[in-house]
Amino acid sequence: MDFDRGLQDCLPRLRRFAHGLSRNAADADDLTQMTAERALLARDQWVTGTRLDSWLFRIMRNLWIDTARSRARKAAFEAPPEAGESIGWDPRPGVEAAIDLRIAMAAMARLPDDQREVVALILVEGFGYRETAELLDLPIGTVSSRLVRGRTALLAMLGE
Amino acid sequence: MMMTDEQYFAWLDGELDPATAAEVAAAVAADPELQRKAAAHHAMQARLRGAFEVVATAPTTDNVVDLESARSVRAARRVLPSMGQWAAIAATLVVGLVTGTMIPSGSDTTVRTNSGRLIASGGLDRALDTRLASAPLEAGARIGLTFRDKDGAICRSFSDGAAQGLACRDNEAWAIRGLVQGADSGRGDFRMAAGADPGLAALIDSQIDGEPFGAEAERKALDGGWR
Repeated sequence: MDFDRGLQDCLPRLRRFAHGLSRNAADADDLTQMTAERALLARDQWVTGTRLDSWLFRIMRNLWIDTARSRARKAAFEAPPEAGESIGWDPRPGVEAAIDLRIAMAAMARLPDDQREVVALILVEGFGYRETAELLDLPIGTVSSRLVRGRTALLAMLGE
Repeated sequence: MMMTDEQYFAWLDGELDPATAAEVAAAVAADPELQRKAAAHHAMQARLRGAFEVVATAPTTDNVVDLESARSVRAARRVLPSMGQWAAIAATLVVGLVTGTMIPSGSDTTVRTNSGRLIASGGLDRALDTRLASAPLEAGARIGLTFRDKDGAICRSFSDGAAQGLACRDNEAWAIRGLVQGADSGRGDFRMAAGADPGLAALIDSQIDGEPFGAEAERKALDGGWR
């Protein structure tokens, strides 16, 4: 498969994953930009015939981990995301009101990092448990128990 | 059966082998509470996906180089004001691809990275610093439009034949906001070509505050060090 084409095709999904991981849209787009740059630099390391999307998601996830320390420092100076307080949607029956991206990101941001990445990959991106375990270098049991905790916390935040 | 939370959710996600899945399904069928829980989680996941879907379906880098979809971005913007923001973000995304793959080596359009930002350097930096749009045609980058963006920074569009782009003043440097492969090589008249590429035009559209500078305002801005 052509690398440039594959990267370009994957960018929307990468950007969505970045939004699942990041506290705000600006950070998410920085992360997407960094991932695209890193991927182009490292393109020789991608093995033709293997899944390019998993390779790209892994680069993004590792960049995100690398910036965790500065992120935590920054977060200490910022107000905590107000997620739970303002969350809600149209309660009228039959109205499946979409939740706002900002609210979804705020709820995700309240999950611990290890749960957030699993939730983003499986519930939002649609990766399987096995793919996610390989992408994160984790045992599949760890993935599934983090997913249980993450989605349970999300349900409490995003309500019913 | 004794069922763990992990098994229950693995069933919900379609991750169980058929035999175990059948056992869990039977247990859930016999338990209204588990059915209610399944419905609540399905709904939550659907809403979560719906919220993030807007990111994945926003116009992407294709729009910067693809005429047809760039047009649809512009059309969509009329309906949905925030689409302009997306177009701007999308346009910056292409920079990574462009710098990695498109700029011919030896081109006078030079771009370097500085703390993760893309900055004009070399001949491009000089042209942005010193050239007026009215400058006679010569080698190197030509300047199209000069304007202030919504944050008050001065921005200039440029082209050198190999690439067209938009750079804005940021910390005494020209930060690249967008870059597309140039399409005007060999054509003499670039005065109007700030909009030659629809993606670049959409980017300028989304950033500009008011009207572009006239010749006199451009000269004053140059004399004032682009502040």
